[in-house]
Amino acid sequence: MSKDVFTDATIMSGGRTDDDAIVVMDNVYKRFKDFEALKGVNFKVGRKEVVVVIGPSGSGKSTLIRCINRLEEHDDGRIIVDGTELTTDIRNIQEIRRETGMVFQNFNLFPHLSIMSNVAIGPRQVRRMPKSEAEALAMELLTRVKIPEQAEKYPAQLSGGQQQRVAIARALAMKPKVMLFDEPTSALDPEMINEVLDVIKELANEGMTMVVVTHEMGFAREVADRVVFMAEGEIVEVGTPKDIFDNPQEERTKKFLSQIL
Amino acid sequence: MSSLPSAPTKPPLWRDIRVLRWAFQLLVLALVIAFVYWLYGNYQTNVARSSIPTDLRFLDNPANFTMPGNDLDQSQPVRDAFVQGFYNTLRVSIVGILLTTVLGTLVGIARLSKNFMVRTFATAYVELIRNIPLLLLLTFMNLAVILQTFPRIENAWLPLNLFVISNRGIAIPWFTGSGGILLAVLASALVLTWIVVKIRGRVSDINGKPARGLTWGLPTFIVVMVAGWIVLGYDWVLPFVDDRATSGGLRLDPSFFALLVTLVVYTSSHVAEIVRGSIQAVVKGQSEAADALALSGGQKMRLVILPQAFRIAMPALGNQFLNLIKNSSLGATISYFELTQIAQITVGNGSPAVPAFTLTLLVYLMISLVTSVIVNIVNRRLALVER
Amino acid sequence: MIWMKRNLFRSVGDSLLTVVFGSVAVYVLWGVLQFVFVTGRWDIIQVNLKLLLVGRFPEELLWLVSGSIMALAFWVSAAATSSQSTKEARPGFGRRIWEAFQRFGLLAATGLLLIAVSGDRASLVMGAMILGSIILGQLVGFARRTLSPLNALPGWIWHPLLAVAPIVLVALTLSQASLDLWGGFLINFYIAIISIVLSFPFGILLALGRKSTLPIVRLISTTYIELIRGAPLFVLLLLAGVALEFFVPSSMAPGQIARAVTVFTLFTAAYVAEIVRGGLQSIPAGQTEAGKALGLNTTKITTLVTLPQALRNVIPAQIGQFISLFKDTTLAGVALNVLDLLNVGTAITAQDDFLGQGLIYETLAFVALLFWVGSYVMSRESQRIEKKLGVGQR
Repeated sequence: MSKDVFTDATIMSGGRTDDDAIVVMDNVYKRFKDFEALKGVNFKVGRKEVVVVIGPSGSGKSTLIRCINRLEEHDDGRIIVDGTELTTDIRNIQEIRRETGMVFQNFNLFPHLSIMSNVAIGPRQVRRMPKSEAEALAMELLTRVKIPEQAEKYPAQLSGGQQQRVAIARALAMKPKVMLFDEPTSALDPEMINEVLDVIKELANEGMTMVVVTHEMGFAREVADRVVFMAEGEIVEVGTPKDIFDNPQEERTKKFLSQIL
Repeated sequence: MSSLPSAPTKPPLWRDIRVLRWAFQLLVLALVIAFVYWLYGNYQTNVARSSIPTDLRFLDNPANFTMPGNDLDQSQPVRDAFVQGFYNTLRVSIVGILLTTVLGTLVGIARLSKNFMVRTFATAYVELIRNIPLLLLLTFMNLAVILQTFPRIENAWLPLNLFVISNRGIAIPWFTGSGGILLAVLASALVLTWIVVKIRGRVSDINGKPARGLTWGLPTFIVVMVAGWIVLGYDWVLPFVDDRATSGGLRLDPSFFALLVTLVVYTSSHVAEIVRGSIQAVVKGQSEAADALALSGGQKMRLVILPQAFRIAMPALGNQFLNLIKNSSLGATISYFELTQIAQITVGNGSPAVPAFTLTLLVYLMISLVTSVIVNIVNRRLALVER
Repeated sequence: MIWMKRNLFRSVGDSLLTVVFGSVAVYVLWGVLQFVFVTGRWDIIQVNLKLLLVGRFPEELLWLVSGSIMALAFWVSAAATSSQSTKEARPGFGRRIWEAFQRFGLLAATGLLLIAVSGDRASLVMGAMILGSIILGQLVGFARRTLSPLNALPGWIWHPLLAVAPIVLVALTLSQASLDLWGGFLINFYIAIISIVLSFPFGILLALGRKSTLPIVRLISTTYIELIRGAPLFVLLLLAGVALEFFVPSSMAPGQIARAVTVFTLFTAAYVAEIVRGGLQSIPAGQTEAGKALGLNTTKITTLVTLPQALRNVIPAQIGQFISLFKDTTLAGVALNVLDLLNVGTAITAQDDFLGQGLIYETLAFVALLFWVGSYVMSRESQRIEKKLGVGQR
């Protein structure tokens, strides 16, 4: 039932995406005890592409991206990230986790480490970068997200918007090929949403491949190359922002949009 | 357009995460088994060398000691002694738990009293007892209070002429006549009282007037007990000193008394803190809501705060009860014939040490497990009532 | 007067309570004061002070104990002073004295009491020297913060440097004086400290095991923890007293104190495991997920992310466990005949000079005092730490 997301994209986005898909999900199923979260999902993401996933709660959008970096284990189907397949092979799993970065709804910064250490911990421990080099990289990223002065502080001392920007810097420090955003602004007070969205928009403009699960429709309209609407574990409709928001085809899409917009 | 790569490659065993997990577990299991086996091997060699039996046959041997205050013949097997010890442990534990709950709750509430004197008193009590070792308290009760302060039987204290206190123990008034009849009357009294209270509750629901369960229930209870007394003829007996012993009444032997008092005093200081903490944990809004409804102080405590506090406190209280049961093993230091003391004596009389003490441990484990299960059931019932 | 009315005499019932409890309090206090200052015969304590405090520790090596105490006092005071940040607002001198008095007044008073009881000049000198080492420590710490060459010394050189003296002295004490001769209050401390230190790694492993997703590991950990927690410590000690030698090859015949330490370690490990498990459970799942998303492996996540947070969160509970352990060391006295403070306290009433004179009250009061001060000061410090940790979070 799910559309082959990729074919539509090449046609609709006028050659902006590269040929090779960097993330491929083929007929993926995921079950939780008695509940099927993903039902035969076919999903591809091209390089430098920004895909925004929308849908009602329980539709499986979070499960979708959490399967990509193995925070959830898919039960059936295949997932391939940048040529490496996601199986029970521990080496593959670690490699895929290195090449993907994730930003969580609740930031999940490490409260007992300083901001600097939070950002540097990935490169130091996983890529075995020497301390000075990692810290220089961290400062560069903190400047990029516009909070270099907070480097020596602790997460509890920062506002939500600042914490989330640190989380983005922390993910970027691993120089990932794909960035995964799981409702990055849902836990923020309204006045701080924009500062985070601005950072994400900049990242998109610089050509980072991204999959963003969000409720921010304005953001989707502005930045997405493709919008994917999910409901009840399936991909229901795919298209450019213009297609999905202005001219939805499926009933469920129309219903969802009428409730949100 | 790219196509899917060929069928997924199966990861080599040494990188497969599922294999790794199980390999690790089996390794741990192997290490543990190896360790236990080493211990067991040592045990066997050492025991064979000293020719001590390692099974439970010692339970059939004659006990060769008597326990004053318990009727046990010297020739009865060790097994019976253990049973008696088990019974004594239960006795002191159950009575101890009941008394501790009462005392601990009172002191806990007193800690929050608005009266400065009461509050300070309770605080001093808790802070004093909590910080000294249980064994110290027990030694004090035993050596200092009972052996030294309590008078000898000739000069026994007779407070209110109801009790006899001496260094042989404490005698309290008790019933004569069949214990069975007494229990039957007591049981029927309780049942009738409960029925009356329930009926009053129903009546009150219908006509809105206060149920007054206490004013109806208490007289019912008294009436039934008195009726039983008249009809069935059991009687109170006051203890008195008769030559060099006490006659009549129920005699609590000194070590039981010392152990009971110590356990109750010690554990209740912890219970008081738990009760205090849980009362304070009941959200302040509850108290304010009760005030807004114009409930009196007593009603507020009884209907709003205590039920919720009790729910919060239950797990920690259960823990304290378990501690009390385990601490009863210290009775062995003051010759109270509970389970541990029995074990020690029989080992001293030649029973093999490891099986005897292991058996003792297993019995305590069993008691702990049963108590935990009961506490869990109570916990779950309290939680169910919520949703 | 208004205060009195509100707090003591709110109502008739209230006033009655005040009167009753008040009179009881007065009666008790009067009795205690009489006992302490008038009727009590404290010479039994005076004569046996050394026995009570350090057991049969060899006389000529006692300076090692005092030396260790001084070195430890120096170390603690220097380390504490040198790590205080100069940026924080420092309260005025008078206030700091008052705070120090509140924190350590009780300890100081007890120390003075011990000196007074012993009645000889040597202990006065020792007391003065301990005070001196504390002050020296403060000066050294202060110098570290302000004077330039010391300032530049990185933390990982400075703190071990400070610790050299106490470590050397403690090591000497342990090696020179045979453990069998240790006793008194000293052995209570010794057993407690060694046991908690040894039980820590074991307890952490058990906690990790109990929370593990691997079923066999979880089963083994849970079984051990539940078995130990269901068993009375006293019975375990008795068992070790008669049976430990059966489980080890005959070459390793353990002494009484070794048996005590073994049992206490194994016992405490189960309780430490439960405390750490509680700490681990309070860490939100997102922390491990963030670690995984970064590519950290399970070991790194545990050692760098979850465990540090969990351990920091349960420090108050850990201290509570140590205090319990400290009080429970008295059981080693009865079960294993270790000459700990309580055991000595009861035993000295049977000495020729003091037999049959009912001096058990005096000795038990002294023993109770020492334990009470130790426990109380430790729990108060734990409450302080708890408050400090709470302030750190938002």
